[in-house]
Amino acid sequence: MGGYDLVDIEVTQKSAEALLESVSDTETDDTHLQSIQAVRLQAGQPDTEFRSLKELDEDSVKLLEHQVDAAYRALFEMDGKALLADEVGLGKTIEVGMILKEMHFRETDESVLILTPAQLAKQWQAELREKFGLEFICNYDDKFASFEAHDYIIASIDTAKSERHRQTVLTREWDVLVLDEAHYVKNEDTDRYDLIKQLSYNYAFFLTATPIQNELTDLYNVVSLLRPGLFGTRDVFHQYFVNSNQETLINRNELQDRLNKVMIRNRREDTDIDFTDRTIDTRTFNPTPKERKLYQAVSDYVKGAYSQDQGQKLVLMLLQKEVVSSPVALKKTIEKRLYDQSEVTHADELESILDLIDEIDTVTKQERLLDIVEEARDNVEMGRVIVFTQFRATQQQILDRLASEGYTVHAFHGGHSSSEKEQIVEDFEEEGGILVSTDAMSEGRNLQFCNILVNLDLPWNPMRVEQRIGRVHRIGQKRDVFVFNMALKDTVEEYVLERLYHKIDLFQQSVGELSSILSRLEESGTSFEDEIFERLVAADSEVDLENDFDAMAVDLQEQRELADKLEEFNSGVFEGFDLGESDD
Amino acid sequence: MTDASLPVTQSVVEQFTQLYLRSIGCAVERSDDRWVVSVPDDIDTEITSGRHTLIRGESAPDDEDNRTKRLHPESAFFQQLLREAGERSPSGKLSIEGESNIEIPEWVQNGPIEVQGAEFTPYYDRTAIVVLFRVGIETVSEYQQELLHAVAVDARSEESLPALTETFLDTTTEWTSSTPTSAVQLSKTDIQSLLGTARELVVDHVQGRIDEVHQEASRAADAEVEEYRQLQQQRIQELEDKSARLSSKINQLNETINTGDHNSRVQALRERKELKAEYEELEATLNELREHRDNGFPERQREIRERHSLDVQITPLTLTEVEYDRGEVDVELVDSNSHQTITLGYGSGIGVTDTIQCSSCGRKLTQDNTLQRIVDGLECVGCTKE
Repeated sequence: MGGYDLVDIEVTQKSAEALLESVSDTETDDTHLQSIQAVRLQAGQPDTEFRSLKELDEDSVKLLEHQVDAAYRALFEMDGKALLADEVGLGKTIEVGMILKEMHFRETDESVLILTPAQLAKQWQAELREKFGLEFICNYDDKFASFEAHDYIIASIDTAKSERHRQTVLTREWDVLVLDEAHYVKNEDTDRYDLIKQLSYNYAFFLTATPIQNELTDLYNVVSLLRPGLFGTRDVFHQYFVNSNQETLINRNELQDRLNKVMIRNRREDTDIDFTDRTIDTRTFNPTPKERKLYQAVSDYVKGAYSQDQGQKLVLMLLQKEVVSSPVALKKTIEKRLYDQSEVTHADELESILDLIDEIDTVTKQERLLDIVEEARDNVEMGRVIVFTQFRATQQQILDRLASEGYTVHAFHGGHSSSEKEQIVEDFEEEGGILVSTDAMSEGRNLQFCNILVNLDLPWNPMRVEQRIGRVHRIGQKRDVFVFNMALKDTVEEYVLERLYHKIDLFQQSVGELSSILSRLEESGTSFEDEIFERLVAADSEVDLENDFDAMAVDLQEQRELADKLEEFNSGVFEGFDLGESDD
Repeated sequence: MTDASLPVTQSVVEQFTQLYLRSIGCAVERSDDRWVVSVPDDIDTEITSGRHTLIRGESAPDDEDNRTKRLHPESAFFQQLLREAGERSPSGKLSIEGESNIEIPEWVQNGPIEVQGAEFTPYYDRTAIVVLFRVGIETVSEYQQELLHAVAVDARSEESLPALTETFLDTTTEWTSSTPTSAVQLSKTDIQSLLGTARELVVDHVQGRIDEVHQEASRAADAEVEEYRQLQQQRIQELEDKSARLSSKINQLNETINTGDHNSRVQALRERKELKAEYEELEATLNELREHRDNGFPERQREIRERHSLDVQITPLTLTEVEYDRGEVDVELVDSNSHQTITLGYGSGIGVTDTIQCSSCGRKLTQDNTLQRIVDGLECVGCTKE
């Protein structure tokens, strides 16, 4: 490769005096063979076996061959500095979990920093704890004090680069750095890039499904953070690998050879994973006149209150979500506002909403839920169904209702201890029946023994929806999965479902695919939930609202197409090198 | 190029430990997790005499003392054992017997002709040396490498014997059977000359790897130089900005000096003096930086390149005199309707030494151009296709 000067090289032949001395030693004790073996063993890699694997609980994590291979190569063949770039959904987190577990076992992990996008931090924490028994503190935990105070930290990259923490993060010598969604640092002019560049660490594992976001320079930037100098200078890299019209690659084989030293990329088709089918059944129901009245009253209240005071956004958003979940959930929040927090500005309006709640005798969704579980009782092994709701009050009411109908029920929420949670899942597996869970059911739980899931209400964050589904529809699920979505007609839920989720084919996407769609969208700063809420309260008419949601769907679809294109481009570069005509 | 290193797994650790301890005269009593090793008083070893307990694997011994040791790939005891064993008998002699396990050439193995039997008749003894070399490729960047390579050289012809190297490496990995070794017979002068040849061969063998590291290190150096250049450019830019600001301040002061009253003039003059001094100092620094930049920062470049330069050190660690036989092998070949015996030059540990050509077209038989027919001489793939 031209464009740079070769450094000096000196070859020294060391003396053989000691060796020749030993030749004259005629007294031999027949240990020459052992000397040869000892010299060969000294030169060998000190045991490159995964010694921690046998400690893993097989019920918590099923390791796949490609994951073990990737973790092995990253740790032993790439000297602990690797870019893990599997296609989406192949378990890059598992690979890192294995690596961290092994390092923990070998005691080479005194300080570990995992940087992730904000929305994935807690999920990382749960997965590492539940699958690998590794305890990390997350910057969103109450107990989190500072980047100095703990040794095993999971933090959002933006928190780490914030003015408050940056200096502490940079002062410390980290043993291990893990960077999730590494394509976030593709741009060398950003604070994120700068932070990673300045961090001190011994081992680093970067994860991304799309190492190239826009152009080959992205790859140069990410790889150069991990292995400075592997690609030489930016200019030389460009001259050597990209032809002048910037569209085709040249010297592809060498690019791949060099990437092989630092990057691991598994493709779905190369693995033996067999994903079962997923059937989505969205059921929308007409609310009763009383429910409709209540929905209207709450929506009007939310709109009015928000126009007066935007500081109340969170609680107003909560009310808007609760009204489609269950009247009882709504009631609890309103009562709290009225009586505990002495809300006075809208007391009358809230009191009248309470009256409307009290008038409701039939809760449509709960009645219809009985149809689904009844069907499951007749057709599915041990009638196992998981029902998800966002609210504890809704959960309790469903549990009572189902129990009164004679169903075996199990409750799962964030208030249980870890061991209680284990027990609940175990009971559900053994006794069957219905598990009613809040979103506290974390990613790490293994629920593949169940294949029917009901979304009694729908989170406005598509990642949440997919995470729910991902708990049953994952590697290891042997049957087709059925997902029932329940929504009331002409409510925000119907809009979210029909206009947004179905438009982007949400229910057929994997977490990884979604995250690449959403992370692009959220790079602008606003969250998906906020967008929905803003559109809801800002619309002046039904038509406006429909248009607003359609516009959002168009954005989403664009992001999806971009994400698809990107995936295609990446596979072109890394696997087939079939990106147009070769100039070689 | 032959990598001679061995992967160090727990089972290899145990096999080696047992073999070595017994070979120096210790007794080893094995039980599940603990071994008891008895070291006699009169043997030459760093291990203290008496009884020791070895605990297999990494479970921490509950009663660790200087007589209880852990046995695993990274344990201090095992590392000590490797050092001691490695230095104990770095030279010696072994024989490679040729009667059993005759190596059939690949041009027969890969083809359709069957081998019914093979018999080796040794005619004379030959000697070779096999040397294990440590090749250290040192550089500041992470591309530093340490390799272990084996090279075999025939004592008489001084030719390289790659097949013998392979056989040597295979033979010395047999943990269960102990191959007998004895003292070196070759003279020191002969060895010195052969060692010279082996040194040349090992450099040839690892040249590809050295070139690779050389290029990697050069690229790393280049990237560092470029980074330095950018930093300096950035610094020049900052200083230029600062200089422009100073210059504009000085101009403002000039204005005041020309138009202001006495007091403000005096004040302005004083300030201008300070600023001018600062400006001149800045300009001097800038000029110096620009000059360095225009010359391409030669000193810094040299320093970076020096730091990234490669130091390759080649150290012979063990030397083995290998006795092997040369002679002829009779190979009985059969296909569905014919039978033929061929006689080929052969060496134990090095395989068939003759080059055989197709009796029809004269092309050399190889692993790709295999023997296809034996009815009219030995015919290759190319000649039997149609």
